[in-house]
Amino acid sequence: MAKKWIASLCLLLVLPLWVNAQEAKAAKKVEGKQFSVYSDKNSPDNHYIPSGWMGDYGDIKINDEFANSPHSGSSCIQFIYSAKKSNNQGWAGTYWQNPANNWGSKNGGFDLTGMTKLTFWARGAKGGEVVDKVIIGGIKGVYADSDEIEMGPIVLGSDWQQYTVNLSEKNLSYISGGFGWVMNADSNAEGAEFYFDDIKYEFDPAIKPEVKGAEKMPFYVYLDKGSVSNHYIPSGWMGDYGDIKIDIGSVEDPYMGNGCIKIAYSGKGAQGARWAGIYWQNPANNWGDKKGGYDLSNATRLTFWARGAKGGERIEEFKAGGLFGEYSDTDVAAVGPVILTKDWKQYTVDLKGKDFSSIIGGFCWATNVDVNPEGATFYLDEIRYE
Amino acid sequence: MRLGTNKHKYHKIKHHWLRRQNLRFNLRFWRFTIFVLLIIGVSWWVIFLCREPEVKVKKTKDSRFQLFVEGRPYFIKGVCYNPAPVGEGYDYDLGLDKFEPWDLDGKLMREIGVNTVRLYRDSVNPSGLKKAIRVLYEKYGIRTALGHWLGFWEYPQPCYSSVEFRARIKKEVIDMVKTYKDEKGILCWILGNENNYSFSGRVNPWSCPEADKAEVSERANIRAKIYYSFVNEIAREIHKIDPEHPVVLGNGELGFLDVADKFSPDVDIVGVLMYRGKTFGNIFNGLKKMFDKPLVLIEFGADSYNSFKKAEDEGMQSFFLESQWKEIFKNSGFGKEGAGNCLGGFIFEWNDEWWKHNTDNPENWKVHDTEAGWSQGAYYLDNKAENNLNMNEEWFGIVSILKQKEGDLNKRLPRAAYHMLKKLWKNYPVK
Repeated sequence: MAKKWIASLCLLLVLPLWVNAQEAKAAKKVEGKQFSVYSDKNSPDNHYIPSGWMGDYGDIKINDEFANSPHSGSSCIQFIYSAKKSNNQGWAGTYWQNPANNWGSKNGGFDLTGMTKLTFWARGAKGGEVVDKVIIGGIKGVYADSDEIEMGPIVLGSDWQQYTVNLSEKNLSYISGGFGWVMNADSNAEGAEFYFDDIKYEFDPAIKPEVKGAEKMPFYVYLDKGSVSNHYIPSGWMGDYGDIKIDIGSVEDPYMGNGCIKIAYSGKGAQGARWAGIYWQNPANNWGDKKGGYDLSNATRLTFWARGAKGGERIEEFKAGGLFGEYSDTDVAAVGPVILTKDWKQYTVDLKGKDFSSIIGGFCWATNVDVNPEGATFYLDEIRYE
Repeated sequence: MRLGTNKHKYHKIKHHWLRRQNLRFNLRFWRFTIFVLLIIGVSWWVIFLCREPEVKVKKTKDSRFQLFVEGRPYFIKGVCYNPAPVGEGYDYDLGLDKFEPWDLDGKLMREIGVNTVRLYRDSVNPSGLKKAIRVLYEKYGIRTALGHWLGFWEYPQPCYSSVEFRARIKKEVIDMVKTYKDEKGILCWILGNENNYSFSGRVNPWSCPEADKAEVSERANIRAKIYYSFVNEIAREIHKIDPEHPVVLGNGELGFLDVADKFSPDVDIVGVLMYRGKTFGNIFNGLKKMFDKPLVLIEFGADSYNSFKKAEDEGMQSFFLESQWKEIFKNSGFGKEGAGNCLGGFIFEWNDEWWKHNTDNPENWKVHDTEAGWSQGAYYLDNKAENNLNMNEEWFGIVSILKQKEGDLNKRLPRAAYHMLKKLWKNYPVK
């Protein structure tokens, strides 16, 4: 008898969860060959709301009925990004969500199965504004989106231009984050004003699954601060990460271009590890637990320029690849230890015979307090695969 | 009378004739016999001189490497074997184990198809170790790869440029080879383990004048050159006294094998240790480019304790091991795809060892520690554990051992990986 009571109680507890889960799977199925995210202010065709503000959201202003030269209809959406880093993030963005403000905690979204592409029109006020990426799906939480697709970076022109995101063979069965954009202050130091219009999902039978081939060389890890040619983000801080300061736009005698990377390692042992380092990753903070990275099969070497503030700073290792996780890098190559000189010097990591077909960790340095008892300040520039 | 005389003459002639015939026959017989014996003798010498060693690596026309033992193809389905009982520590010596665990373990191993064990070192009691090797081979058909640390764990740290140190270690290895080479069960000799990690100075650093006075960036390469030359010297010496068994160079991943390519031409096989989760990455093709020798994975595997869930997780271990073995076979000389240079591997390890987490505290050797000792993101199923520490040294066995005893030995409990391997290996075309 007691067992029956316990079984009934378990059933009562589990049933709501099961029902919830079923609801999440039962997103509203979309019929037809087109499905709008945004077409015009107050249009009944709009299905998502630009409610998900991210990063330095205080830096964003939106006008969703901007009537001056829309691409079509009576209005488009204007964004003004000030790049003032009001939340100290250095980046900002907006998600179109369903329902509004749904960060995965509510059952919503649409089943967009059958759609093969998303198209949108965009332009900048001046031209040259850099959108880091546009995103489809990718909302996490209890009601997580069924897929995440990104495209970017995009350098906007001053005239309307249509962009297409290939969605062929993507899992669109539950999408609550219908569209999003992200921009950073490094690439848009003066801020940016830009416009979106006619954002919509479409079924196009001619669209084939995207085949991502090997990247063309040279391929930059870092060219200059904010450059659209940069492909990896210095997000993987390791060891005594509290000992590190990084300025990716230092103007202290760059080797080439407008700036270089300045790294100051104090060697104080903030986390007690006695060593520190940074991985340049793609996407940011990817330790091999997400798909990402680039096919660098065409590269035969990685080159970079480096110098020490005083000369004599010792870097134990400069490395390419070598991140291990569910989506491990396919190989690893390194040079080191290296004693830096006061003048710029080029270093090379030989990649001949290596399999660099999938690399999340594009570049890395690591050093320790034993070989730099006073810490070390050093500079990096022109990090690229060739 | 005349008749009688003639008869006598006839008999005399006949007797003479028969004698001559007999002599002639004897001469022919002996000539023939000597000729036959000569042919047999020469053939025997020719066969002896031209015969292949008992254990041999062959390179196929399409540049794949295959191992042959007594002329038959051999794919190493191995386990690292150190059956330290609960409560014993790093000084456990198989040759001194009076309870002879190899008999029980050999039986369990044979059931799933293990054909080789890797022993890390010889014994202070060679007769005991010989017995283990012999029983494993004669009773269960399991061969032994016998190793030597080359002084890597000695204190003070080894110095591979020291003449005295080299002479001592070399003598130890040669003595080991002389002692065990005639044991039928021996498969190969493994020199070193991950000694190359000392070149950078991060593990067991050693100093030598040549490296110390060089540029910082060159020091590791100089140490590598010294070490690999030393290994080569030993390998050459082994070949002189034991041409029957190949010599394996033990190495941590592929580090510095480009240097070994120049300074260790006499090693026959490269043995690599690697812990990289479900895939070995580019190791097979990478080795081909660096040092074109056949490869055997002398240590790899996965632990069975999930540090994130804080519970034993046999499925996790089995998942990684299955993926690893599939890559090993795919890249073997007997496979059809892949690099074709892998001769097999040794899983780390056959049984759990309860002393491995806290090696200096004998009290702790009686406890099956669940605290992880290091982190490796490639084992991603439990890498979200606190501080990402997910590698549990005491849980690598495909067979767990319990405190509870069966006879004189700790009870063995095969894990899911054990059963998975039984299914996987039985489909391999090379037994």
